[in-house]
Amino acid sequence: MRSLGVCLLGAVVALAGCSEETNPRVVTRLNTDAALVGELPSNPLQGKVITSWIDRKDATMSTMFGNDVAWKYARSNSDSKYPAGAVLSVVTWGQQEDPRWFGGSIPQRPKAVEFVTVTGPGVAAYQRYEGSPLKKVASVEGVDPNDRASYLLAQRAAVMP
Amino acid sequence: MGSVLQSRLRPLLWIVGVLFLVFVGLQFVRPKLTNPPVTADLQTPAEVKQILRNSCYNCHSNETKLPWFDQVVPAYWLVTADVKEARKHLNFSEIGKLPAAQQKGFLFEAVNMIQMGAMPLPAYRRVHPDAVVTPDQLTVLRNYLTTPPDPSNAAEVGAKAVTDAAATDVQYGKWVQASQTALEVKPEWNGVPFDPDYKNWKAISSTDRFDNHTMREILGNDVAVKAIADGHINPWPDGAAFAKVAWQQAAPDEKGVVKTGAFIQVELMVKDSAKYASSEGWGWGRWRGTDLKPYGKDAQFQNECMSCHEPVAKNDHVYTMPFSGQTAGGQ
Repeated sequence: MRSLGVCLLGAVVALAGCSEETNPRVVTRLNTDAALVGELPSNPLQGKVITSWIDRKDATMSTMFGNDVAWKYARSNSDSKYPAGAVLSVVTWGQQEDPRWFGGSIPQRPKAVEFVTVTGPGVAAYQRYEGSPLKKVASVEGVDPNDRASYLLAQRAAVMP
Repeated sequence: MGSVLQSRLRPLLWIVGVLFLVFVGLQFVRPKLTNPPVTADLQTPAEVKQILRNSCYNCHSNETKLPWFDQVVPAYWLVTADVKEARKHLNFSEIGKLPAAQQKGFLFEAVNMIQMGAMPLPAYRRVHPDAVVTPDQLTVLRNYLTTPPDPSNAAEVGAKAVTDAAATDVQYGKWVQASQTALEVKPEWNGVPFDPDYKNWKAISSTDRFDNHTMREILGNDVAVKAIADGHINPWPDGAAFAKVAWQQAAPDEKGVVKTGAFIQVELMVKDSAKYASSEGWGWGRWRGTDLKPYGKDAQFQNECMSCHEPVAKNDHVYTMPFSGQTAGGQ
């Protein structure tokens, strides 16, 4: 009975020639704003997700990626003594309203990309890229990683069972 | 000449007459549609209420008022079925009995449905143009939902954050000890298997869900990542799979930074247009908690997934706008 009703209504709609345009929020597209454009030593998006955070004051969101060495270590150790060869990379994006979900924010333009490369026990290099296109703005190497590198190395992995 | 026309018209008149009688007869086939008592009506400012009453209450409340043209079969059958379905999903006359956070969740979903053009239903809007939510009315609804909560319950919120932090630490401690051991995870009720490999997939987006205090990473497998690189994302190719991993948002630290709190769930969408033809071409699954328990009680759970993703049906049911650059060489 209901299907008959649906058929009848369908026929009416078809006759009336009504067709809804695609809502602009639904039009298929990539989030091109968030692409990492610039001369980076490696591509963080090829890494695996270790964790993420949101900075309410700066209205930014960051994702920390790791190469295989870093990722494996972070998932089974809660200290920050990453082995040599571990590379952490952090992408920090500005935020924009998710056009497809009111109540959510998604990445906008990248604000910074950071790399922490561990070369030995307690020895790490830190590099930071900013701007559009992304350009190197800081580079620190040596024993006793700088504050920011220590901070990033100390972030624990998000639980991903 | 006249009698020829008459003899040709006669059968036609008979048909019209019979159809009319059938039409009249069908008017007596009327499923029952009652208005049960209003037990816990939504409490909102008057201007918000007015908009919801005008555009939503006819289907989503116990105060359904049908205009005469909705009383005529077959329109009446459609409307009756729609109202029953609508009340099951969201009933503003009974929503007041739910916790405040859940009520807000429903309102956020309602605003999403409206601004994506999914509600009121397109067919309903054509026949009831007065029910269309205007851009100004949408702004009123959005502003209402983004107004910060009453600071008088800040102490309560603070206490909850401390409890959550302790629980998060315990969860993390157990996981980091045991993360090398593979879990035995059951497939979803609809048969979609869990894929432990999801954590090796590439990030394609992330979301800060301030509506429900969660944060998510959206990951894509190699097929999905290749589809992004090739620009073939509507429809997505068979074999493409996404994982959406959700955590609670921890309370902000002294610098205003919100870290990932407790793990909530991982959800999978696996494209196979033949195998999953009956569920929009996607295999849907949600595994909750660190023991990854399949969500739902039976295969019906996937109706929840599909109805939530219906507003993006024209985008192959995918909400995420992926960023590109995951393949070798990047951007």
